[in-house]
Amino acid sequence: MHLGHLFMNPKALLIVFTTITISVFSVNDTIAGEQDNISEAENPEMKFDARKVIVDHVLDSYDWHLFDVGEREFSIHLPVILLYEGRLFIFSSKRFDHGYATYKGFRLAKEGPMKGRAIRVLDDGITPDVQASTIYDFSLTKNSAAVIVASALLCMLFISVGRKYREADIYATPTGLPLFFEPLILFVRDQIAILAIGPHKYKPFMPYLLTAFFFIFLNNLLGLVPFFPGGANVTGNISVTFVLAMFTFFTTHWYANKTYWQHMFNMPGVPMFLKFPIPILPVIEMVGALIKPFVLMIRLFANITAGHMVILSLTSLIFVLGSVSLLLGYAISPLTVIFLIFLNFLKILVAFLQAYIFTLFSAFFFGMAVPDPEH
Amino acid sequence: MELLMPGLGLIFWMTVSFGFVLLILKKYAWKPILNVLNKREKELAKSFSDAKRIEYEMSQLATIKTTKIAEAEKIHDQIIAKAKEEAEAIVIEARERAREEARIIAEKSDELIENYKKAAILELKNQLSALSMDIAEKIINEEFSDRERNARYVNKLLKSVAEN
Repeated sequence: MHLGHLFMNPKALLIVFTTITISVFSVNDTIAGEQDNISEAENPEMKFDARKVIVDHVLDSYDWHLFDVGEREFSIHLPVILLYEGRLFIFSSKRFDHGYATYKGFRLAKEGPMKGRAIRVLDDGITPDVQASTIYDFSLTKNSAAVIVASALLCMLFISVGRKYREADIYATPTGLPLFFEPLILFVRDQIAILAIGPHKYKPFMPYLLTAFFFIFLNNLLGLVPFFPGGANVTGNISVTFVLAMFTFFTTHWYANKTYWQHMFNMPGVPMFLKFPIPILPVIEMVGALIKPFVLMIRLFANITAGHMVILSLTSLIFVLGSVSLLLGYAISPLTVIFLIFLNFLKILVAFLQAYIFTLFSAFFFGMAVPDPEH
Repeated sequence: MELLMPGLGLIFWMTVSFGFVLLILKKYAWKPILNVLNKREKELAKSFSDAKRIEYEMSQLATIKTTKIAEAEKIHDQIIAKAKEEAEAIVIEARERAREEARIIAEKSDELIENYKKAAILELKNQLSALSMDIAEKIINEEFSDRERNARYVNKLLKSVAEN
């Protein structure tokens, strides 16, 4: 029943749409790139690489871009922290000069899976050093900073809400912040925790579910704000969703009861040959236990990234058409803006929906980890 | 592909931040909030069940009241009926007794009257005889005082006897 929901996701359509959009842009890009090879040398500003813009916006980065004034770019240069060959390198991301400079043998990768991240380069300062040992990159990136900002915001918000509850008379009608958050908290409790886990077992999971819900919701919303301190694609980053999924995974198995473990390693009522000497069923169960958080991770990441990409693609459309003909760019703008407004409203809904879905499925997994013993 | 590459730094900072937020909010937000919400709901549920119970008890009391009133009315009617009966009995008895006493009194008075009458008659007889004796005496005295007349009367009587 629960797995059915995973694939019945309405956002799947958006992902498909985005993939098509991106691939269309990539094709345009390559064609344009081939044609522009000559013109680029003459006038490099004319070229607009939609794919690069979109991916750069969605990816994490070492500095937090604020705004441009004419040719000047204003950004917060966050610290780069690298552990390489037992040595710690801490320096400002300004040293990379947006990927144009090499610092202490490190440079930002231009392409490949490590795109936008620090890699070791050879002495010439450009060629990646393929033989270099692993760089442990603990940099406080844009998304890390955004996570910390959101965390601080979340703590401030809910500590003040919590304080009001501590002081208030229990029958007092909530006002101010509690008035806004109480229905959401009750929603998480009644429609997520009690629904998925059960009225007698939901209590230990409430802190995690509430934190996860509000953390994802807030970050989704902040991701929609196009300027500082929003604009970071936090919940659309695989590392963030990975950590969230891991928290769900560990919470599930921390609270898992005897029946759950018995079902994993020694499923009752199943022929012995499925369990011994080759543990087919335990292996399947374990894979299942890992797939659950994996699906959580992918769903949140894909939905939020897809949404961002659709918005960025539509915005890029103006510039792509504008680079073909200025008139065309102007002509398409009103249409794009109207559609963008609609999409932003949709994304506010999605911000809530994805927080809800992540929390609900986490709750379902918790519910599965604390089954009643077999009768 | 670069989208799917997890970043060690971000994983580290995210784990630290989220863990921190989880612990802080668990202690300073979720616990007090959920406590208050649970308490409020419990109190409300209790008040509601109390109200239900009181309502039920009130309805019970109302039925008890009506039955009690009916019973009381019944008893009241019975008492009144009994009292009426008794009063009537008393009245009848009193009347009977009065009549009896009246009869006895009447009988006694009759007897008395009779006695008095007899006594009176006797007295009257006595007095009458005494009186007649007196009168007779006086008459006799009177008669014997007039010698001439007596002599004439005796002559007359002797004459009539002689004629006979």
